[in-house]
Amino acid sequence: MSICVVEHDELHALVQRLIQQGPAMGPRERQQQPGFYYFDWLNSADELVLDYVTTTLPPKKAFFPPREPFLEFSRTDPAKVRSMTDEGPFVLLGVHPCDLAAIEQLDIAYSDNIADGRYLANRARTTAIIGVDCWPDEYCLCTSVGTEQARGSADLFLTPIQRGYLVEVRTPRGQELLGDSAQLPATDQDEADTAQFRREKQRRVTAKFATGVEQFADILAAGGLTEVWQEVADRCYSCGSCSLVCPTCFCFDINDDINLDLTTGARIRTWDSCQLPDFALVAGGHNFRGERWERVRHRWHRKFLYLYTQYGRPFCTGCGRCSRACTADINLVEVSNDLIAYAQRETQNV
Amino acid sequence: MKTQAKPRVAFFDFACCEGCQLEVLSLEEQLLEMIELVDIVTWREAMSEKSDEYDIAFCEGSITREADIERIKHIRETADILVSLGACATIGCHNALKNQFSMDEVLHIVYGDRAEWFDTISARPITAVVPVDYQVNGCPASLPEFVTVFKHILMGKEYKPPNQPVCVECKLKDNLCVYEKGMLCLGPVTRCGCDAICTSYGHACFGCRGLVDDPNLNAAQDVLAKYGLSVEEIVGKFRVYNNWPELSLEESHSDG
Ligand code: SF4
Ligand code: SF4
Ligand code: SF4
Ligand code: SF4
Ligand code: SF4
Repeated sequence: MSICVVEHDELHALVQRLIQQGPAMGPRERQQQPGFYYFDWLNSADELVLDYVTTTLPPKKAFFPPREPFLEFSRTDPAKVRSMTDEGPFVLLGVHPCDLAAIEQLDIAYSDNIADGRYLANRARTTAIIGVDCWPDEYCLCTSVGTEQARGSADLFLTPIQRGYLVEVRTPRGQELLGDSAQLPATDQDEADTAQFRREKQRRVTAKFATGVEQFADILAAGGLTEVWQEVADRCYSCGSCSLVCPTCFCFDINDDINLDLTTGARIRTWDSCQLPDFALVAGGHNFRGERWERVRHRWHRKFLYLYTQYGRPFCTGCGRCSRACTADINLVEVSNDLIAYAQRETQNV
Repeated sequence: MKTQAKPRVAFFDFACCEGCQLEVLSLEEQLLEMIELVDIVTWREAMSEKSDEYDIAFCEGSITREADIERIKHIRETADILVSLGACATIGCHNALKNQFSMDEVLHIVYGDRAEWFDTISARPITAVVPVDYQVNGCPASLPEFVTVFKHILMGKEYKPPNQPVCVECKLKDNLCVYEKGMLCLGPVTRCGCDAICTSYGHACFGCRGLVDDPNLNAAQDVLAKYGLSVEEIVGKFRVYNNWPELSLEESHSDG
């Protein structure tokens, strides 16, 4: 890995070049609601916002779309069953460290065990990722899950500094992206600016877990927290928003949509959420998590216990989207700290 | 289905604004594809021919008179397949607002000194009077669901309305939640299937597709109270569409 400095104009030109070469997705401001951002395909470098507050949906939508038809079929003619054509390669711009970590986590989960060919094919079309460092808001909890400096699968990573951006060139592909953009050597001042940015970012994160992720996993594993889960469930709609916006959630459902000829159709995969009442409903009418509190608990267990145990890291990257999205104000950090406090009280009482 | 080249379809309306039928007409090109598969034999809003013989009946509107009960029963007996079309037919919609008053009172409010010329009963959806085979929710009826139900009928498949809230479709479309703009939305307790059409255009959801199977009304009440709504206002918000069966919100859950 090498570092260099790229000035603002030069980066603008680089982004414009990438957009001209092929589709590029990046964070844009919502025209109707300034101050809110979303990932979308870019028409020009002017649309890309690099100092944005976290988007509504994470960038995984580029290679794992919310609703994806992937197979065409005919009920009468097996010869007409075919995989729907992938579109071409694209690049992903302006990805925050938490989201870079999440892409890495999805890659791990989707390659493990029975690899998901569709996901991996779409990821292979993601031919470059450019990350950018960010300022947290009151929901961000990256420092509690150790992702504040995550680089994931970024080819280039940008830190805003006085002179423009300090650029970490992390892969040969990153070097190729830079092409003949003017790359200035980083001075001591540039490196001091960068270090200062990171310290300040760390300082500005206010939402924090009261314990480390390892102790938190132990607390969840020990159980006995039903009272807290039920209190949260009382306030929870089971609307699924918290997991639908989560960059590490990977659950989906598959349905067939038949055309009006009643013969041909498409098989579609759609994001699903464990918070929805019918998620764990199986044939015969049994529901493994029929109670709201069981579904609430599952979300925490999935992120901070099961996958933590399986992969040695929490499957939460601290982006804060779940807390931002919850219309009932169920806040990931507040609930986690309630659980921790409850468990600590219980141990003291024994 | 009776032995017949194409199934015969009839549209009927009871107490309603007939907006659902109009909505179906707006399918235009898709409608042309649909009539390749069926013969439409009765549709007062769209054509002058009519027939008393039909296999599939789409029925819009609520039941508000004794005579309606007889009529819907007759349709039920005639049709192999009965579909409740839209909110009035499926969940009572605005019609059922009148059930808060005595029938005598509403007759006098509406017809004044001619009240005794008319009869009325508490308004109820078709689904509460006869068994229906399929339901299309929404005010007006959600077109994506209408088309889905149509296909299910022709393939002889059961259709289960989605038991997910509007938030799901809203999130899949990457909308900004209208709460971010200070608007109040019933999406978290309302059954999806409309592709979150209102919130996608920046409006709040008013719950026209009815509630999900197990709505957390306590949560809804807490959230709306937090935005300064009184219990009465909260109940009023729900009542725009959801009056059947009578909703019971617990007063204790609100401090508004
Ligand atoms: S977003 Fe909030 S209300 Fe909806 S399921 Fe998640 S925690 Fe519950
Ligand atoms: S659990 Fe919440 S904070 Fe963690 S990655 Fe998912 S959306 Fe982000
Ligand atoms: S459901 Fe709405 S659009 Fe349809 S008839 Fe009733 S009031 Fe009219
Ligand atoms: S706008 Fe309404 S439907 Fe959409 S996410 Fe927000 S509360 Fe749910
Ligand atoms: S968003 Fe709500 S009010 Fe609008 S059509 Fe859907 S269910 Fe009805």
